[in-house]
Amino acid sequence: MFLKNKRRHWFDFLVAMTEKEIKARYKRATFGFLWIILNPILQMVVMGFVFQFFVPVSVDNYFLYLFAGLLPWNFFSQSLTKSTPAFFYERNLIKKAKFPRESIVLSIIFSNFFHFLVALLLLIGALIGDKLFFENYGLIQLVFYVSRMLWLFPALILLLFFTIGLSLFTSSLNVRFRDINFIIQLAVMLWFYATPVIYALNLLPEFLWPIFYLNPMTTIIELFHFALMGLPITLINFIWVAVILIIGIFYFGYRVFKKENVNFDDWL
Amino acid sequence: MTVFKEKTLRNRKKSGEVVINLTDVSKKYIITHDKPTLIEDVNRILRFEKKEEYWALENVNLKIHKGEKIGLFGANGAGKTTLLKIIARISSPTSGKVQTKGRIISLIDLAAGFHPDLTGQENIFLNGLVIGMSREEIRDKFNQIIDFAGIGDFVTAPLYTYSNGMKLRLGFSIAIHAKPNILLLDEVMSMGDRDFQEKSRQVMKKMFNNDVTLILVSHFVDHLKKYCNRLIEISK
Repeated sequence: MFLKNKRRHWFDFLVAMTEKEIKARYKRATFGFLWIILNPILQMVVMGFVFQFFVPVSVDNYFLYLFAGLLPWNFFSQSLTKSTPAFFYERNLIKKAKFPRESIVLSIIFSNFFHFLVALLLLIGALIGDKLFFENYGLIQLVFYVSRMLWLFPALILLLFFTIGLSLFTSSLNVRFRDINFIIQLAVMLWFYATPVIYALNLLPEFLWPIFYLNPMTTIIELFHFALMGLPITLINFIWVAVILIIGIFYFGYRVFKKENVNFDDWL
Repeated sequence: MTVFKEKTLRNRKKSGEVVINLTDVSKKYIITHDKPTLIEDVNRILRFEKKEEYWALENVNLKIHKGEKIGLFGANGAGKTTLLKIIARISSPTSGKVQTKGRIISLIDLAAGFHPDLTGQENIFLNGLVIGMSREEIRDKFNQIIDFAGIGDFVTAPLYTYSNGMKLRLGFSIAIHAKPNILLLDEVMSMGDRDFQEKSRQVMKKMFNNDVTLILVSHFVDHLKKYCNRLIEISK
């Protein structure tokens, strides 16, 4: 009974915190929720315009390719950079009230995830509309096309777990070692170029491919490219490397958080 | 060694049930001065130095029974707030055991869980959840909370439009409507205007006669004498 109440409260609290994150972000912004979609579109247009001259990606539509990769990447990078200093920013609350602290990080990630899903649904709508009206897909072709999108579910789950695990790890360490925040800011910037968002993996020399798969984001972005645009996954067996890495990082991040959590009050 | 000097003012009928039980609780803080923790750690390892330590609490043993009203006072730095934080489980003891029974609500800062851009209503829900209420409870008590805080039409206005007094009143109002089994109050009795102080005094008096276990921290011993049946002076 008590345990059930506790779990219920944990869930309610997480929902309320996530709601707060979503509401507070666009309060008093005239364009409000429009920013969810405006931001990646502008990014896509500018990057697409510049990079199409440098990166000879062999896909029909480089702009769509960019967009399909930028959405998950933005979710990941924004969640990580925002949640890393989160415990430090919420020190007032942590030092003065007892509540499930992981919800600080989780609410940031889930509110970003909500925004990401909205943008993703709009992209899917645009893709299906394109196939229907401009490429005159028949019904069977369309069913095939849409059923491939079911691959989005494993991709989303992997992305979510990876982001949560890594963010719990960095945000917990940042309580004591404030350099972590700066390291992450730099790392995310470099990480972007180590992930096939603006380029495709098959443009690189073949011996480099396995190294790129040590980066779980490579696998995740390729899964998105596959599900949304039907591009093949370069090394299909290496998906398991990412799955194992992500489970490991999630577990590790959770353990570090559990261990450091009891000492947060002493270091903030 | 942390020393407790105790004095019982009024005898209440003791229910016998121990709701807070601290056994050999100690709390150590590590002093870091101005250097970043990473440099300090590396330095220490290179020079084989020990960490600089500070014991805020040493071997504290404390049993509090259900319904007792404790007044806690002592010099600055004696460990009053540390003790409250350990009971509330905001902080964890370096050694020793902490056992508590029931819902604990700690008011170390009344406005800690508020967000300036959200409305009063949204903040009531958020803060209520922060201190451990369920959604249904907050919904049931919603009108009472607003009435007691006396914020009127401001309930739909964002919190940054509130005066400091209004924020404190709202925080206090949420806390007393949360039906705690154990209530920890840190220097919060001297806030708000005269009207509100009178109102909170009434609430405190009412609490004296019910089952809520109360720990009140204040420098004003006269205050404590009014509301408490057991005074504890804490010192090094």
